[in-house]
Amino acid sequence: MRRKVYTITLNVILLLLGIITVYPFVWMLFSSFKVNKEIMALEQHLLPQVFTVENYINMNARFNFMRFFANSLLVTIVITLAVIYTSTICGFVLSKYKFKGRELLFGFVLSTMMIPWCVTIIPKYSMIQKFGWLDSYKALIIPAMFSGFGIFNMKQHIATLPDEILEAARIDGANEFFIFHRIIFPMAKNGISSIAIFQFLWAWEDYLWPYLIISTKEKQLLAVGLKMFSGQYSTDYGALFAATAISIIPVLLIYIIFQKQFIAGVASAAVKG
Amino acid sequence: MMMKKRLMAVMSAAAVMAAALTGCGSSSQGGGQSGNGGAADVPAEPFGDTVKYDPAAAINDGKDISIELWEWGSDELFQQVIDGYCAIHPNVSIKLVNNPWEDYWTKLPLALDGSNGPALFNVHNSYHENLINYMAPLEIPLEDLEADFTGVEAHVIDGKVYYIDYGMMTGSVYYNKDMWEAAGLTEADIPKTWDEMREVAKKLTIKEGDKLIQAGLNFNDDFHQNYLLGLNYQLGENLFLEDGRTPNVTCDAMKQVMQMLVDMYKVDGVGSENFGEKGSDSFGQGQSAMVIQWGHYYNTLNTTWTDINFGVFEIPTFDGNPYAYNRYNGESTFGINKNAAADQQAVAQDFVKYFLANDEAQIAFNLAMSTFPAKKSLADSEEIMQNPSLSVLAEHIDHYIWPGPMPSTVETSLKTAGQDIFFNGVDIDTALNAAQENIIRDMKSSTFQSVEHLYKYAK
Repeated sequence: MRRKVYTITLNVILLLLGIITVYPFVWMLFSSFKVNKEIMALEQHLLPQVFTVENYINMNARFNFMRFFANSLLVTIVITLAVIYTSTICGFVLSKYKFKGRELLFGFVLSTMMIPWCVTIIPKYSMIQKFGWLDSYKALIIPAMFSGFGIFNMKQHIATLPDEILEAARIDGANEFFIFHRIIFPMAKNGISSIAIFQFLWAWEDYLWPYLIISTKEKQLLAVGLKMFSGQYSTDYGALFAATAISIIPVLLIYIIFQKQFIAGVASAAVKG
Repeated sequence: MMMKKRLMAVMSAAAVMAAALTGCGSSSQGGGQSGNGGAADVPAEPFGDTVKYDPAAAINDGKDISIELWEWGSDELFQQVIDGYCAIHPNVSIKLVNNPWEDYWTKLPLALDGSNGPALFNVHNSYHENLINYMAPLEIPLEDLEADFTGVEAHVIDGKVYYIDYGMMTGSVYYNKDMWEAAGLTEADIPKTWDEMREVAKKLTIKEGDKLIQAGLNFNDDFHQNYLLGLNYQLGENLFLEDGRTPNVTCDAMKQVMQMLVDMYKVDGVGSENFGEKGSDSFGQGQSAMVIQWGHYYNTLNTTWTDINFGVFEIPTFDGNPYAYNRYNGESTFGINKNAAADQQAVAQDFVKYFLANDEAQIAFNLAMSTFPAKKSLADSEEIMQNPSLSVLAEHIDHYIWPGPMPSTVETSLKTAGQDIFFNGVDIDTALNAAQENIIRDMKSSTFQSVEHLYKYAK
């Protein structure tokens, strides 16, 4: 009985916390169907009092939403795929090969995660300027191809795979290239899923770096476009919420589809030192 | 394989859903790039007042050239000017780059520091110190600018001008006409003095017992900008002492203004620090009958709070004969990048001249920002006078002061002082002394120098 009460209480608390967490998102979603004066009204209602789809129709008034959406999708997918590959191969090397300076190298990778982005952004911008990569996707993709977090995560994950499998493959004549692509890569799918979700989310929502680099309107990304709704003196909340509601669809879908592997991947990286 | 299929499914679903929700990728309805030129008129004769623009003069020897113009705000507004200019000079292409207001000030200095920055960029004087070292001086003679525009002398640095104001923004009183009528007030009751204002505010206040239902006046969140940094002038005190750097926020005038604000809420009961986080929103929500707001609020009311039936009147004074009515701030003309290529700078210089000589552009920009035109010949323009937030300023526009591009600490320190007084029970003297010390400390590294002494009626 006592255990039952405890379980019910815990579930109620979790439910309340869940509602508190989700409520702002739901409010934003419903508000995307409200007119601005209702969004800013003193008396707030969750559901629109006057239902309108104008915010969705007028989104393009400030920028070409679909163009920005497609640009973001392209850049995010390329970065995510690149990070998955580089993180897995680096993780494989750092966990399964023994060589001098391995720990030092891994320490260096970890240290890159500890430097705040604001420290590196100006030198990074100067480098990109010198390379002549301003206003180019090269500047968004190439510096993002390696992720300290991804390498760390994949090293931890691949370390859990038994060495015996690799030894058996080598005895059977498999070279290292084959081992990585045909054995390690498929077996690391849980870790890859978690990196894919994180990296996709980070690349998708990254705002400042794309904004600093890209100037041509046709090349701009969605996260930058969303900022355009906030003006010097006022914000078009309705259109902002509508655009935001659509912009989170890819991230939601990625999470929904990969969530099982994601949770398994995070758990395995967490427990194996 | 399974993963690949899932990935494909995710991307397809995302694209389909996004397309469905946005009306299947219809093209941009506004803010298009330049080059469409279209219906822009091409003047044949030179135009302008003292600053004249000759459309017959070739640019870049007629050879093709491209420059960029970076701005924040309305693309259409800038595009109209670009289209007009490019119609005269088809060999010039100006690429408009729109930016979000907040981070424009991070990106712009970085870009200007290199050789690939925009030749032209929109300026706000609150970022003067970050930008001035990247700017080339205007090649238009100073006396010509002074002949045509108000407030030019305040922008002179070592005999050169890098940008001027095309418009002046300041505060006026916005009132809810329906509430006004419901309180039995008429146009004749529009207050001229602060005493009258307080009486009117009392009549507009509605309470149920001790509970405030409708505020007669609401200055929450913006009292520092709209009262403390402006009404001191009405009492004859500048914001800075004679050295142009020492803040004057502990003067008796500032204390008097602060005391008046406290009395309005605590003695008159016409509002409350707890009645709405922002006075501007409370007015829009139909909870407050009067607010003092700067010109941009006129546009906010017309776009966001469309149900409010509002009127505007000039800010009251203490005795009807003020030293100055209020502080104003200028909306600035474009900056020219001194690191841009010489031919690009030449186009930029020409474009600024075109903008200054072009009355149509001046009116469009001032109406868009609800700023009073700095161009003297437009002070009584019919289009400007049709905007009530501008027409109320017309009579005394020369009695407003610009203190110069003040560091933000002046505003934030006074905001903190007011919050301490209203919410933390700090007395006025202590709060203003703390603000004074804070401003002095923060301004140590600033090169700011007040230009209050350039006020036309300076003592």
